[in-house]
Amino acid sequence: MTTNTTILDGIDPEIAADLAERADEVAQGASTSSALTAALALGSIPVAMAALSRDVYAQGTLPANIKGVLDFALALEIFENEFYKAVLGTSAVAALNTAFAPVRALAIAVPGAVNTLQQIQKHEAAHVATLLATGATNVFNLTASSFDFTGNRSATGGGPFAEATTNLAFLLQVAQGVEDTGVRAYKGQAANLMSNTAILEAALRIHSVEARHAARVRRMRRAAAGAPAEVRWSGTVRGGERAAAGGTTLGTLNPTAVGSAFDKMYGAGASSPSESNIMHAGVNVSALAGATFGAEAAQEAFDEPLDRADVVAIVQPFFIPTIS
Amino acid sequence: MANEREVLFNRGDQLLVSTSRRSFLQVLGLGGVVVLLPSMFAACGDDGGDITNPTTSPFRLDLSTDTGILNYAYALEQLEAAYYTSALTSAGFAALSTAEKEVLSDLQKHEVIHREFLKQVLGSAAIPNIVFNTTTVGNLTASRDVLLRTSQLLEDTGVAAYNGAGKYLTSAANLLVAGKIVSVEARHSAAIRDIRDGTNGRLFAGDDVVNASGLDVKAEPDTTLTAVGSLNVVTSALSIGTPANESRRTPDQTAPTPT
Repeated sequence: MTTNTTILDGIDPEIAADLAERADEVAQGASTSSALTAALALGSIPVAMAALSRDVYAQGTLPANIKGVLDFALALEIFENEFYKAVLGTSAVAALNTAFAPVRALAIAVPGAVNTLQQIQKHEAAHVATLLATGATNVFNLTASSFDFTGNRSATGGGPFAEATTNLAFLLQVAQGVEDTGVRAYKGQAANLMSNTAILEAALRIHSVEARHAARVRRMRRAAAGAPAEVRWSGTVRGGERAAAGGTTLGTLNPTAVGSAFDKMYGAGASSPSESNIMHAGVNVSALAGATFGAEAAQEAFDEPLDRADVVAIVQPFFIPTIS
Repeated sequence: MANEREVLFNRGDQLLVSTSRRSFLQVLGLGGVVVLLPSMFAACGDDGGDITNPTTSPFRLDLSTDTGILNYAYALEQLEAAYYTSALTSAGFAALSTAEKEVLSDLQKHEVIHREFLKQVLGSAAIPNIVFNTTTVGNLTASRDVLLRTSQLLEDTGVAAYNGAGKYLTSAANLLVAGKIVSVEARHSAAIRDIRDGTNGRLFAGDDVVNASGLDVKAEPDTTLTAVGSLNVVTSALSIGTPANESRRTPDQTAPTPT
């Protein structure tokens, strides 16, 4: 029943032969699409292959609203992928690998932690490839050097999240926020994909993978015994704003800025409620006739979306170029 | 509908017989009715004492409407809620650590909330309460190992079901509600899998559920209902009256049964 095939596995031999021929042409200097160039710049063979497949078999023009969602999702996935590559020491930017070396050493000492980071990074890289193959474009021309993971939009860092390079508990809190933001972003875009059910389904299947990631990171934090009970062993989101992040560890560099960032990640957006919301489809889920468990379980039982502009406001500090 | 056909199955393994399966698929293609009779869900060798009160009229889901898709979700949430409610008083639960008990307790609350929420949203359109085989449910909670394995299977089934059903919803509001729930099911699955993984750190989103394209499990409704039937925990008849829009169907990617 399980079909763990890649996009490329599904390509028939005739198409694969065309792909190989086109790859040879590119190697000999033929002009290529910007997506392929970007993929090569990211140093990812799967990404390049996916882009190449689209380069050869250009798809029909996607409606602008669908294309816009895919392009935005691609930017978020490149950000996530590059973040974990820096943590793991596999970024194309040597300075980032060096910067994260202290926290990497701490992660290596925790059984399973590096395995988890590798598993997550593998998925983010696959999401980049899948989105490119689906028709997304790297509209912000993002590369490994497009990010400042300290949150200062500077190639030299210096932002409030710099502590993530030296403090494992803080790194995991940031990773949790990044994953949960991804969950909220995909959830907020689902309605915009309804006219293309194949793309909608792919987006839903990425969405639930991000939720798995966030749950595991919560469990790593709780296991380290530094995280409060808001960080549920069940991996679910209790509360809203910074409290939902397990707000007792906001770092020592700039707790005000970090706390404000977590407020945005777990708070209300322009048209979305806070993660602490307990009203869904007009129903108060904290006091249902057959389910009177109170507010906390009700908050955990439902996740909330965010609009694109809300997500941009959260992640822009980590992108050196301006995104929108 | 005038050209409606009906095929009756009274044993789950009949779906694995090619002639029956062909009829089953033909009926789905024709928009006919497939009825999974209560006896199909009875455990082999069951003493029969627990199938005391199956609902006599089968629940026929009309998956061509949002209401039908939400009822399909409601059926799955009934199953999860009933299972975890039973689990909380089981021998398997008693053998869990404090942290593990927090997970199962959270899951029970969340699934009961999902069930009661969907019941309220569906109102008079909601399907009746599903009847469960308490003997089979009891067997599936009898030890820590079987409790966690069954929980993993249920959560992965839920994630796959919601991921496969979203494309059939026609209302953005309903899609949002489904989206709010499915990510919680994915968190549950990851937590249970992580417990079973020890310190390996990969099973939470293992290669058995997330494929090389980074995509999670998904299942079409008929796939899910057949899988649920094979659990032998449902004594009510769950059936597809009108199938979902066939033009939107996609290949399934389901989680293997945990071992």
